[in-house]
Parts: sequence; structure tokens; C-alpha cells
Amino acid sequence: MIKNYFKIAWRNLMKHKVFSLINIIGLTIGLSASFVIGLMIYYDATFDTFHKDKDRIYRVVTDLTSPEANFSIPGVTLALEDAISENSNFETVSGFYIERPSKVENRVLNSEFKWPNFVIFADANYFKIFNYKFLAGNTSEILASPNNVILTENRAADYFPNTKPSDIIGKTLVYNDSLHITVTGIVENFKERTDFVFEEFISHSTILQTRLRDDFLNKNWNNTNDASQLFVKVTSNADLSAIQNRLDDLAKEHQDEESKKYGDEQKFTLQPLGDIHFNEKYGIYDWSKGQASKSLLINLALVAIFLLLLGCINFINLNTAQASQRAKEIGIRKTLGSSRKQLIGQFMGETFLLVLVSAVLSLLLSRWLINVFSDFVPEGLSYELMKSPIIILGIAILLLLVTFLSGFYPALVLSKFNTVAVLKNHLAVGNKKVKLRKFLTVFQFSIAQVFVIATLLVGQQINFLLETDMGFKTDAIVSVYSPRAEREISKKELYAQKLRAIPEIKSISIGSHAPASISTNSSSVTYNNGDNEVNIDLQFIFGDVNYAEVFELDLIAGRTIRNDTVKELVINETCRKRLGFKSPDEAIGKTVLFGDQSVPIVGVMADFFQRSLRSPIKPMAYRGDWYQQDWSQFQAVHIAFQNESSADFKGTLSKIENVYKSVYSETDDYRVEFLDETIQRFYNREQKMSKLLNWATSLSILISCLGLLGLVIYTTNRRVKEIGVRKVLGASLLQINALLCKEFLILVAIAFVIAAPIAYYGIHNWLQDFAYKTSISFWVFLVSGLAMIVFALLVISLKTLQAANANPVDSLRSE
Amino acid sequence: MQNILVSLNEATRTVNSGSNKVTLLDNINFNVEEGEFISLMGPSGSGKSTLLNCIGMLDNFTGGGYTFLGEPVHSMKEKNRSKLYKEYIGFVFQAYHLIDELTVYENIETPLLYKNVKSSERKAMVADMLDRFNIVGKKDLFPIQLSGGQQQLVGIARALIGQPKLILADEPTGNLNSKQSEEIMELFAQLNKEGVTIIQATHSESNAAYGSRIINLLDGKIV
Repeated sequence: MIKNYFKIAWRNLMKHKVFSLINIIGLTIGLSASFVIGLMIYYDATFDTFHKDKDRIYRVVTDLTSPEANFSIPGVTLALEDAISENSNFETVSGFYIERPSKVENRVLNSEFKWPNFVIFADANYFKIFNYKFLAGNTSEILASPNNVILTENRAADYFPNTKPSDIIGKTLVYNDSLHITVTGIVENFKERTDFVFEEFISHSTILQTRLRDDFLNKNWNNTNDASQLFVKVTSNADLSAIQNRLDDLAKEHQDEESKKYGDEQKFTLQPLGDIHFNEKYGIYDWSKGQASKSLLINLALVAIFLLLLGCINFINLNTAQASQRAKEIGIRKTLGSSRKQLIGQFMGETFLLVLVSAVLSLLLSRWLINVFSDFVPEGLSYELMKSPIIILGIAILLLLVTFLSGFYPALVLSKFNTVAVLKNHLAVGNKKVKLRKFLTVFQFSIAQVFVIATLLVGQQINFLLETDMGFKTDAIVSVYSPRAEREISKKELYAQKLRAIPEIKSISIGSHAPASISTNSSSVTYNNGDNEVNIDLQFIFGDVNYAEVFELDLIAGRTIRNDTVKELVINETCRKRLGFKSPDEAIGKTVLFGDQSVPIVGVMADFFQRSLRSPIKPMAYRGDWYQQDWSQFQAVHIAFQNESSADFKGTLSKIENVYKSVYSETDDYRVEFLDETIQRFYNREQKMSKLLNWATSLSILISCLGLLGLVIYTTNRRVKEIGVRKVLGASLLQINALLCKEFLILVAIAFVIAAPIAYYGIHNWLQDFAYKTSISFWVFLVSGLAMIVFALLVISLKTLQAANANPVDSLRSE
Repeated sequence: MQNILVSLNEATRTVNSGSNKVTLLDNINFNVEEGEFISLMGPSGSGKSTLLNCIGMLDNFTGGGYTFLGEPVHSMKEKNRSKLYKEYIGFVFQAYHLIDELTVYENIETPLLYKNVKSSERKAMVADMLDRFNIVGKKDLFPIQLSGGQQQLVGIARALIGQPKLILADEPTGNLNSKQSEEIMELFAQLNKEGVTIIQATHSESNAAYGSRIINLLDGKIV
């Protein structure tokens, strides 16, 4: 029976090639998108799910709130661990500290490793919470004494190539030239997907021999650092609200006077292990991997669902439209003894076959799609993941679901035909279903139309973001960063000195980051105008005297700083207003308080954007490198080029690099950033979104138009006789075309009316993320609506013109 | 005394056409005994096809009693009814009504699929039938590749494959030329001799003459 069904299904597919192709294309697009996106969701959802008792593991994180701003910090103050370690709700409490050594040496092999990453200072508790498999070493006394280190298999292979784990135990590594540390264990790297990417675990007590000694000896409640991590494993009957209360009490207890005065609060919360991979607020340990974004995944899933729905709709439309052609077969089968159930089974089987063909194509296609969408696809995701049982099961369920969605209604319609009527050719079917088909077509085009409008508006906003004047010079400026450990100002000065010899360079400044960057450095300042006190959070950019000149900062009043280290501020307009000065000139000469230091304002500069246009302009000041001797803030040399055109950048850049190599001959840490690229990177997310929208738009238009084409082919074929008669009666080609197009164009127009408000609402919401945005312009709606209609008209005319052109004699003779 | 296969007792069929009630079959009374070959005659619209469809349970009488092999069809549930006709009735149509997408072999096989006959048995039965009708060589052709007479032959083979007691033939030769008609009618006569009960609707006197009894219909009444 099944064989028979599949045979007839296959023959039907081959008989109506165009319709089958339309159906398969639509379903394949929908399924491919679903496969790839499903894979991504699966990939991200299965991070760190392998840990034992994973539901009881939490990271303690800190939220700092002040009237000015809120910060979320994945770490906690060092003092917290001791304060909670005795709490009976916790089974294990494990604090560790992430610290990158500048250098690790294996002196026996004479090998040296610079800035190894994922090094933490941890104790045995870490290994109680996270189960590592020990390949070698003593598991009863893990990291019990100072100067011990446990390496992962991978890291051990770097430090001790071609050595058996058991032979590495007892070997010595030298950290930062002075710390002699013995390897006491080798563990296996986690084989499953994990965000716990640490490779070296140095015994926690060793930290007292590093630069962090003072921090750990005098643990301070008011100092919170990303690097100071705290994990807890709660007991199986732990009272989470009691824990939270205890944490709140601790935070309150240790709030200092100053925080109370300014309304600053810190709050500790338990972040579930499963949340770490998704929560962008607190981040993950390996930044380069990029974090999973729930909102992105949801958007992607929506796109997949829509594309799949569009494909299903095509199927429903084309199959119900074609129903009358199948009617005879249905009638005969019924007289031969088929029950309605059997017929429904048969048609569902046919649908399933089609879905199966699409699925096979999709599997092939997804392999390629994973590459095309590399912007969205997480790096570690490979096609091999398709083989995991959950994915296979998921695909099977999806296929059945799609089969049901697209096949069930047509099967009902088809199996309902009255036998006698069908066999007598008294067929009036199809017409009743026209309404449903119209509705579905409108639905399809509404989706496509929403995508079109959204794409255009998002594009407009991105253009606005990139074209808006940042308020300082962004073109033809590069920043060369000094080697990471290098804090010496003299080398930078030497480098700048040498650079001045290059004629293509206009000006040079030594400073911190460029005016707009993702890093911020801020501090709270107070201004007392005699009557009352204003306290604001002030961001800083640090630079030498040339900084304003290189970036062409616009000075409104006063002057720039006199030299690198003099304690003077050049504030921006926002800061000027916040401090309560009525005019820029009024601010000049006033002093603000930094703790107990008073610093004069010597200049006021125009506002510029310190970050992306998402964030509003905050109070900011440009200042020198006040504590140059102890801790220099300067870390880059900013270079403005003479020439704005990029033609001869290459030559100049290589000169800049050569000079760098001559100055910093001992390192190979050359990092150069183009300011305009940095600014573009602010909008990576928007660019991604725009790319996604472009795809969604073109695919949804493609599917919808194919469906429309199918319907047009069908109705036009049915009206061949009418067209013939009309032509004989003298209708022109254009009149006939208009007649045929009209009913479809009305649908597209209705779709526009439905889509426009939805798109408006969606984009309006999206734009709320931006402090600065374009207005939603109405011509966009008009243009996209017209474009859609023109597009539909083209597709429709493809068939109708052909029909209208046909010789009426042929169509009439056949009757 | 032969078994009574079909017994109609004041069987009536009326339909509503707009606001009018139209009587298609009006108080039909007759019995069909096993082994009979009945020809229904009458002009177009006299109700021949309707009567056949109702006897074949594709349509229902709206009034009166219909007993098939002693079972009251008029009070039966749809499911049992379909079981009954699947078991005992075969149809032959004027327009053959073969499934275009299936080959000759598959067309003949289809009724067996719906009767859940095992694969090996099916093969044997279809092979027998092909043999008997001399169409073994055509078994892989599609209906479109056959002449009208050949298509009707397949249609009859398909009607017979389920070994029905009753064959209902609605103008079986209406689309055929006289030579093909004659062959088909000879075949029916042959089948009847072998014990199959046949009811045919026909316009043609000569075809009607093959039957053992002629029933004339006019405006839904037996005359």
C-alpha cells in the first residue's frame, strides 16, 4: 500500500513539475533556515550542561547602581568569599582569580610563552564544583600548597611537548621571571561544550607572591574586579531566598560612608550556571568566542518559522488550487473501496515525500549555509553536530510537523469530494477555497512586506549611524598601541619622536584611547558653587598636549592643557551643563574636587560621541597623564595623516610599523587600529541584523512570489477559454492582462496595508535602543509598497502576458 | 430458487434543486437474483445512472427499503456499507475511469490494496486477471497509451479482481465503436455464464439484448 502511495506521489510530482518545484523550493528554503538556526540554538543551549549537579552551581555577580549609571560586573569583591564560606546553604564555595602572567618559561627546554591566557589562581574547591578528569597527579591534595600548578592536557602539550602526563608531574615552570611553580597535576580538557576555558590552575595561595599581594591581604569591600570570580554550589535543599537576603545584608553592612552619601549601592546575586552562556551583562571568559545572544537567537528562530510558514502556505495554496485535477482519481479510489481515512493517509504520504525531498536538499544546503552565515554561526559549530541524536529527533519531528501543517488541510479538501459528482464531471470544487487561498496569500505578502520595510528602515538607521559626524576627526587616523606590559612613557616618546620624521604624518599624540572607544575610565567629581554641591560621574580621555589637535576636538572656550602632567581639565559641553555653568566662559577657572584634590577647568570643548550613537553623550573631560611616574594612562600613539585619501596609506603604514619595530625591538605585539574601523565596529550588531534582514527579505519575497506565480499559472490556465472568447470579442492584450492581474494586485495591496503598521511598530521599538536616531520616513513605506507591487506585477505578467498572447483559436478549439 | 441479491422496495430518491423538490427515482420495486444479467434501459435523464449509483451505494436512496444479500442497506452505517460494497460490488464506467497515474497492472491491483490482500496473493490474482484478458503485454503501460476498448477491458478486469457478486456497468460501451462494443458485451455474457450477476445501464437495444431481463425506466419510474 505504502509503496503504491509513494509511487503515485512520485508520478504526481513529476507530472506537475513547475508546482512541485515551487513547493520544493519554498520548503527547502524554510527547512534549511530551520536546520541551521536549530543547530545554532542547540549548540548554544548545550553549553555546560554536562556538569554534575549543574542546577546547584551559581556564579556570584555584582550589580553596582548609582544615580548616574549602573554597572554589571561578573566578579565580586575579594572580601565576599570569606564572608559566605561558612554559610550552611552552600556545599562548596570557590573563589578564583583570573590573572594573565606576562611570561611563562620552561627553562629546561629553554622555551618561553608570552601572555598565556586562561590562567587562574584557584584552590581545591574549584575542582569540587567542576569535575575534571585527572590524567596525572595527586587528587587527594589538590593545589594544597603554594607554588603548585595544574595544567590541562592542551596547555601541558604547549609547555612540555611530547611528554607523558605522568612525566610532567614535578617539573617546574617559571612565571613572570621569578615564580618557580611545580606542576602537580594534569587534567583533561572538557570534551563537551563549555565556557570554562581555563587551562592553568595555580594554587590560590601563590597569589600572595604576585603584584596582587596587597589586594588579598587587605580585602576591601568597595573594590570589585572582573577577575575576582566566586562560584558556589548550594546544598540540595538550599533556601535561595535566604541566600539572597544574606547577600543583601552583607552588601548593606559593608556600604561605606561615601557610597551612602551619593546613593551608590552594590548588590550581589547568584547567576545560574546555565545563564552564563547567554547573559551579555556579565559576559563569558573567552571574549573572542562571542557570546550567545538570546535576542539574536529568538530573531533567527522567528525568521526560520516565517520562512517555513511561507513554504507551507505555498503548498496549501497550490494543492487546494489544483485539487480539481486530482478529483477524478479520488472519485475512482472511493468507488474502488478506499475510505476517507485512507485517502487522507495517501495525501499526507505525498506531502511527506515532498517534504522529504526538500529535507534532503536542505541537509546539503545547510552545510553551505553555515559558511555563508559565519557572522551568526558560533565559531565552534560544525556540521557534525547534525549527527547528535537530539538534532536527528528534532529534524524528524520538524518534518512531521511541516508535513502536517502543509498537508493536512489539502488532504481534507481532496478527500471530501463527492464520488458521484466527481465521476460525472460535475465539479464545483476549488471555488469555495478561494477565500482561504486569498487569505494565505495576503499573509505571505504581509510577511514579505514587513521584511522589506524593516530592511529599508534599518538600513537607513545604519547609514545615519555611520554618516553622523562624531564631533571629531575620524578619517585618516590610526592608533598604534604599545606592548601590553609596557608602561614606560620614554619609549612612547621615543617612538613618537621617530615618527615625526615621516613626512606623510601630520600630527602625533600620545594618549589613552581615541575619543570614541568601548573602554571607559571614569571617576566621580564634585563641584561646589557655594550654595550646593553637584556630584557627577566624569569620564576621561587622557592625552598629551597634541591630543586635541590630532583628533580636531573643537575648543569652545579657554585653552587646552599646558603639558602632559599638569592637573588641568578640559570639559565637554554636557559636563559644563551638568555642573551648572550657564556659559562655557563661566566654567573657565572654576575648580572641581577629585576626592580631596581640586583641579581647575581650563577649557570647554564641544560635545562629541564617546561611544556608539546608542548611548547618549556623557560628561567627559580631557586631561593629561597626572600620575605618569607611577601609573601611566598613556597606551597608544595616535597618528593623523597628512593626506585624507587612502591611496598611499599602505606605504605610510609600513613605515610606521618599521619604526615601531626599531623602537620595540624585543616584542612582537604590534597592534594598530584605524579609527574609522573602530567606529564601524560599534555597529557590528546592527550590521549583522541588517544582513539577516536582507536574507530574510529576499527569501520571503522569493517564496511568496513563487507561490503567487503558481496561483497565477493555475488560474490563468483555468481561464484560457474565457481569455480566448474575450480576444475574439476584441479585447486588447493590455486589457486582458489588466483583468488577470487585478485580483492578485489587490491582495498585494491589502498585504501592504496590514504590513505597514506592523513594520512601523517594530522599527519604532528597535530604534528606542538608540539615543540618536533617524526619523521613520514615510517615503520608505511608499517606496517599499510600490516596489512590492511592481515586483508582483512582473511575476504575474510573466504568465498572464503569455496567456493573453495565445491564439484564441487554439484554446477554443479544444472544447 | 436462486438467492435474492438485491431487493428494492419502494426505493425513492429525491433531491432539492433550489426550492424545487425533484424526484429522480420514484417508488422502484424489483428484485435481482444471483446470476441474472439485467439491462436498465431508458432515455437520458430517466434515472438509470442514479439507480445504479444507489444500488452501488455511491449514492443513497432517500426513501424506501434496500436490502443487499438480506442485509438492510438503508439502515446501515456508512462504514458497514462501504465494507459491503468493497466485498461484493464492482463498477465499470462509461468513461473507464482508470487512474491516469497508475499502470495497467497497478490499476487492477488497487482494489486489492483497499481490501488488504497480501502482496503475494495480489501478485497471483493480478497475473491471473491479466492472463485471462490477454493483456499481460500491456501491464506496464499507462491508460493513456491504450485504446478505448483496451481501457474498458482493464476497467472490467479491475472490477472483477475483487471477485464481486455483482457488477454494475454504467453504459460500458458508450465510448466505444461497434466492434469494441461487441467484444465487451461478449465478455459480459461470458462472465454472466460463469455466475457473476450484472446490471448494466444502456441506450442500445442490441446491448440490452445480451441481458436476461430488461427493465425500462422513464422519469424515475419503472415502465
